[in-house]
Amino acid sequence: MNLSGEHRINAPREVVWRALNDPVILHQAIPGCEAVEQESPTSFTARVKAKIGPVSAVFSGRVELKDLDPPAGCVISAEGTGGVAGFASGDARITLREDGQATLLGYDAEGKVGGKLAQVGARLVEASANKITNAFFSRLDGLVALPETPPPQSTDESPTIGHRRQEVPLERVLIGLVAALVIALGVVAAFLQ
Amino acid sequence: MYAFRYHRAGSIDEAVRLHGSCEDPGYLAGGHTLLPTLKMRLAQPSDLIDLGDIDALKHTATTSGALTIGAGVRHNDVARMSHSIPALAGLAGGIGDFQVRNRGTLGGSIANADPAADYPAACVGLGATVVTDRRQIAADDFFVDLFETALEEGELVTSVIFPAPRRAAYMKFPNPASRYAIVGVFVAWTDSGMRVAVTGAGASVFRVADMEAALARDFSPDALADIRIPEDGLNNDIHATPDYRAHLVTVMARRAVVRANASSDGVRL
Repeated sequence: MNLSGEHRINAPREVVWRALNDPVILHQAIPGCEAVEQESPTSFTARVKAKIGPVSAVFSGRVELKDLDPPAGCVISAEGTGGVAGFASGDARITLREDGQATLLGYDAEGKVGGKLAQVGARLVEASANKITNAFFSRLDGLVALPETPPPQSTDESPTIGHRRQEVPLERVLIGLVAALVIALGVVAAFLQ
Repeated sequence: MYAFRYHRAGSIDEAVRLHGSCEDPGYLAGGHTLLPTLKMRLAQPSDLIDLGDIDALKHTATTSGALTIGAGVRHNDVARMSHSIPALAGLAGGIGDFQVRNRGTLGGSIANADPAADYPAACVGLGATVVTDRRQIAADDFFVDLFETALEEGELVTSVIFPAPRRAAYMKFPNPASRYAIVGVFVAWTDSGMRVAVTGAGASVFRVADMEAALARDFSPDALADIRIPEDGLNNDIHATPDYRAHLVTVMARRAVVRANASSDGVRL
């Protein structure tokens, strides 16, 4: 299945990155997230308790980052397993663009679902994935959105901070996004179709 | 299936009280979505509260132009109520197969809020009111998103009040295996205006304002001929693309108007 879209996060890129570098914020942004852990500079695991309709399961997702090109984007490779529920895997291309005071985060993911999920949940995979990613972005926006007047005092420092932190925050964006995508792919279903 | 504790509630109060005292509970109505989910180990509730013994959920009453159906009434029983709101009875008779209709309940269906379920179209199409153990919710506000309703934790649907329409009909394009609606459209000419409710096409049931306005001017299938809903956000799966679903909405809506006009002998409660 293909999952793509673009979300506008109502904060400058700097702010979005800083916020996304904060594991506490990520926890709050990923629906049902129980843990995010860093295994190496380019790999992470996330554990998420997901609930959609009657289905409720704990999914573990593993994420690898490739083709890192901060701050323009990269490719992420993810796989998630949910025990007997099945597994999901996929690649997603992420792009970040500035839009005035806001940030446009685009994603284009190609995923596969296997096991029980694929047998019984086919009709609900995409709808569930969309719901979870939308929830992720609206929570994220709620957490990082700026008041209408941006604080001027940070302008001096931000280029340096931005440069130094570009890689890490980008990765964090991806974890959040990928966790959302993985769960979405993974969670889906028990509806006999 | 994982182990869970089983409770059989004798009253609405007892069911809600039990729900509040358990760690990770669920209500069991007809069980036609929940039990397959449990059998596949895709859910693991600590407690299930069976609602099958609660007589208060099985009442049906007709009062002043409205039909009130208990949440525990099964699809096949609603299908036999063709004397009151034929469109609603017809819809219930087309849910799943005979076995599903013999077990599945009105309350269970709408509380689950499957995007392809039939009953949400009837609730929104007729402008129904959902009654719970603690309040009344307009159907327009009840269905929120994919498998998401306005119900609070532990809140139990007890009945649904369906106002009788002047004319109404439901048409669906069913999945040939499951009979779930790939697209289903409920069209109703009600005392408070035209209502067109679509199920199966999006994440949740929705109304089509353009079609309602067109039908208010002319209640005929031709009034809908040139109205095509945008495909953005419509469901995509192995059965149908968003583009195809958008097309089906217009086709099913037109057929529903034809049927509503054909059965215009009227409904008077």
